[in-house]
Amino acid sequence: MQTPIDGTNDSYPDDSGSTRTAPLEAKSPVAEMTNKMVIKDLRFYYKKYEALKGINMALYDKHVTAFIGPSGCGKSTLLRVLNRMYQLYPGQYATGEILVDGQNILDPKLDLNLLRAKIGMVFQKPTPFPMSIYDNIAFGINLYEKLPKSELDGRIEHSLRKAALWGEVKDKLKQSGLGLSGGQQQRLCIARAVAVKPEILLMDEPCSALDPISTQKVEELISELKSDYCIVIVTHSMQQAARSSDYTAFMYLGDLIEFNDTATVFTNPSNKRTEDYITGRFG
Amino acid sequence: MTVTDSATISAASSARKTALTLRGPQKLFDLLFGGSTIFFAALVLLILGGVVFSLVSGSRLAFSTFGTDFIFSQFWNPVTSKFGARAPIYGTLMTSFIAMLFGVPISFGIAVFLTEVCPPVLKRPLSVAIELLAGIPSIIYGIWGLFFLAPFMQSYVEPYLTSTLGAVPGLGILFSGPPLGIGILTAGIILAIMIIPFISSIMREVFETVPVMLKESAYGIGCTTWEVMWNIVLPYTRVGVIGGVMLGLGRAMGETMAVTFVIGNSHRIASSLLAPGQTISSTLANEFTEATEDLYTSSLIALGLILFVITFIVLSFAKVMLIRANRQAGN
Amino acid sequence: MAATLDMTRYRGRQVQSRIALGLACAATSVGLFVLGTILLTLLWNGLSALHPTILTQMTPAPGSKGGLLNAIAGTIAMTTVGVALGTPVGILAGTWIAEYSRGSVLAQMVQFVNDILLSAPSIIVGLFVYELMVVPMGHFSAWAGSVALAILVVPVVLRTTVDMLGLVPSALREAAAALGTPKWRTVTMVCYRAAMQGMLTGIMLAVARVSGETAPLLFTALNNQFWSTNMNAPMANLPVVIFQFALSPYEDWQHLAWGGAILITFTILTLNILARFLATLSSLKQ
Repeated sequence: MQTPIDGTNDSYPDDSGSTRTAPLEAKSPVAEMTNKMVIKDLRFYYKKYEALKGINMALYDKHVTAFIGPSGCGKSTLLRVLNRMYQLYPGQYATGEILVDGQNILDPKLDLNLLRAKIGMVFQKPTPFPMSIYDNIAFGINLYEKLPKSELDGRIEHSLRKAALWGEVKDKLKQSGLGLSGGQQQRLCIARAVAVKPEILLMDEPCSALDPISTQKVEELISELKSDYCIVIVTHSMQQAARSSDYTAFMYLGDLIEFNDTATVFTNPSNKRTEDYITGRFG
Repeated sequence: MTVTDSATISAASSARKTALTLRGPQKLFDLLFGGSTIFFAALVLLILGGVVFSLVSGSRLAFSTFGTDFIFSQFWNPVTSKFGARAPIYGTLMTSFIAMLFGVPISFGIAVFLTEVCPPVLKRPLSVAIELLAGIPSIIYGIWGLFFLAPFMQSYVEPYLTSTLGAVPGLGILFSGPPLGIGILTAGIILAIMIIPFISSIMREVFETVPVMLKESAYGIGCTTWEVMWNIVLPYTRVGVIGGVMLGLGRAMGETMAVTFVIGNSHRIASSLLAPGQTISSTLANEFTEATEDLYTSSLIALGLILFVITFIVLSFAKVMLIRANRQAGN
Repeated sequence: MAATLDMTRYRGRQVQSRIALGLACAATSVGLFVLGTILLTLLWNGLSALHPTILTQMTPAPGSKGGLLNAIAGTIAMTTVGVALGTPVGILAGTWIAEYSRGSVLAQMVQFVNDILLSAPSIIVGLFVYELMVVPMGHFSAWAGSVALAILVVPVVLRTTVDMLGLVPSALREAAAALGTPKWRTVTMVCYRAAMQGMLTGIMLAVARVSGETAPLLFTALNNQFWSTNMNAPMANLPVVIFQFALSPYEDWQHLAWGGAILITFTILTLNILARFLATLSSLKQ
């Protein structure tokens, strides 16, 4: 079942565009899986500077895909294109196509709010809103649904449970979200993203500001959540990519160098650069 | 999408399967809110435009009657309807000049003291105290000037000045005449006191933008504290310091109440600084509600226009300087 | 030989530095002394004038006893209306600059003009409102006084709004956008909340600024000997009463002027200190 975001519901275009990098065909084992998102010849510019140089790849539903690569390779940029977060800032634009369930989300006519409700995002640093824990989660829900109080409470509990935070906060829902620890704040943000019931979850180095124990909790959370969502995670930690992702994309200088299932990328990379990076020779 | 479909699915999975819509006419609210923000931003420009327009249109009669004579003529006589702005312009410039003469060095001294000499414990309370004094309304300075400073000037300062500097050939003319207590000099000193908090807190702020490394390297080659201040910090922050001084000047020229109390309101330009005079703003404060004739009112508004033009130029210059200083600090 | 010469020179430089820093200390003492004198004079003359009747009686005719009730009420009324009119303008205009303008030329212009208005002579604002309201309406009024004060409120509030919204981390805006929040809700429910204390500080500073303003009221609200609640007529206000009474030859009036001066100064100092306290609180949070 597809969810039309806007009037434009193009038929699935065939994949005849020239591919400069990572061949889609290389990954035969994934052929039978649902392509949640297909990226075609995606280029991204900061004013004149080309930060993404023609990316082609597919992201699979109910799996975790990790973007890795040295700083400045474009992995975070790519993530921020996927929900068009870049449009908050002047002088940034993207060309190419990103198809979500067959619909191009780079279409300028698309309603960005609806797009972003469908594609949740978790940030590098925890970003709790300056309001109570309860209101933090109710905020997103109330944008789209008018729920009776009991149902809203239920949804909030459900989201907090999903984020493995319920036990820690159930007695202080009315307290400010800013009073939680860093790890708790990050899980609150995950709960907030999940509460809107997105289909895709983008995570931009979600553990980079967290201590090892919180990191472990968030990673466990990711592996639980993947049964429901298509998850994309940007990480600078190769261990994290190896531990928690099913597919890994290695990027370098705005190009997608290699994209395959995680085991293959880490044990038998086909590209010399990938091998150098994962063995720690550069990066 | 059928009803049963959505019901079963939403119960089974937490991923959304129903069509999304925002609650309420959010697009409309977005438009209204964004529209009202830009409307009010434009209103700020409109206020300035309105000020200019009203001053220009209000002063047209005065300028068409007197022409450029209005600026240069010294006569100001409501009875014969002859108006010239030279005396108030002179008063505004002279009192501001005196204010700068006393205010700038003292402000600089305070800023140096606060950044380099002051023990850390006192730093914050002193800076806060000085900034709080900037918030005291000008009428308080005025009433203090009238009841404390003017008698003090009359009994101690002015007789002393007349007997010492007054005897110096040439310079003496500035300090001649009877000690009245009120006059150009007293007004200038009140203004100096009023702008000290402004200028010194801006100077302190810009001094603190100097990179510590720069100061340390100067100390490293054996500079004294004063040499670091004078040869390193001051040149480095030159633009910001000038901006702060100009901002103070702009305030001094436009200041009304404090001056009105102590200037003495005389339409004559006297050679002595001890004699009473007037500034543009004090003339407006004193005479505007009494002006019944159109030409009188128009002449007063023309004075306002002149004041506005002068302060606008000074403040713009100050602002440009401070923006440049900010940019430098950012780099 | 060279070594001794250097030492003399070094001593000279040290002496120079000591003298200069000594002068800086002296400047600070002079500044603090004068400002201390002002407060002491104010306390000395004002405290004796602070009688309960100041709050219960109207401004008197010369030679008779009275209070400042009508002037205090007038100042409160006009300050309230002025702040109520000016604050939304300042906040919304500041919101446009911080959240919508994306640093455009127009935004830079608005900020520049705003900074000019912040320091422009307040008597000019009085002239403007005189032409804008008093002339067309044909009479002085408390409304005109309030509008003049509102014009002085706008730049203070606008400036702090821009500064405080600038301190809200962009990650917070992105987080709200990532939930699909419409922009106006992001601004009102997330950014305003995060910047709340700072913006309140700005409003308090604006109240402090306008409650002592005299010049713009001289030819807008004028003055009134009597109790008046009519905003469409001239209204008494503390600063103008202080001005008029202090310059009068009557001792009773001068006494009341000192009483009014001490009231207004301590109200404003309290507001400023509270504003500062709030600002410190919000900076601690970030």
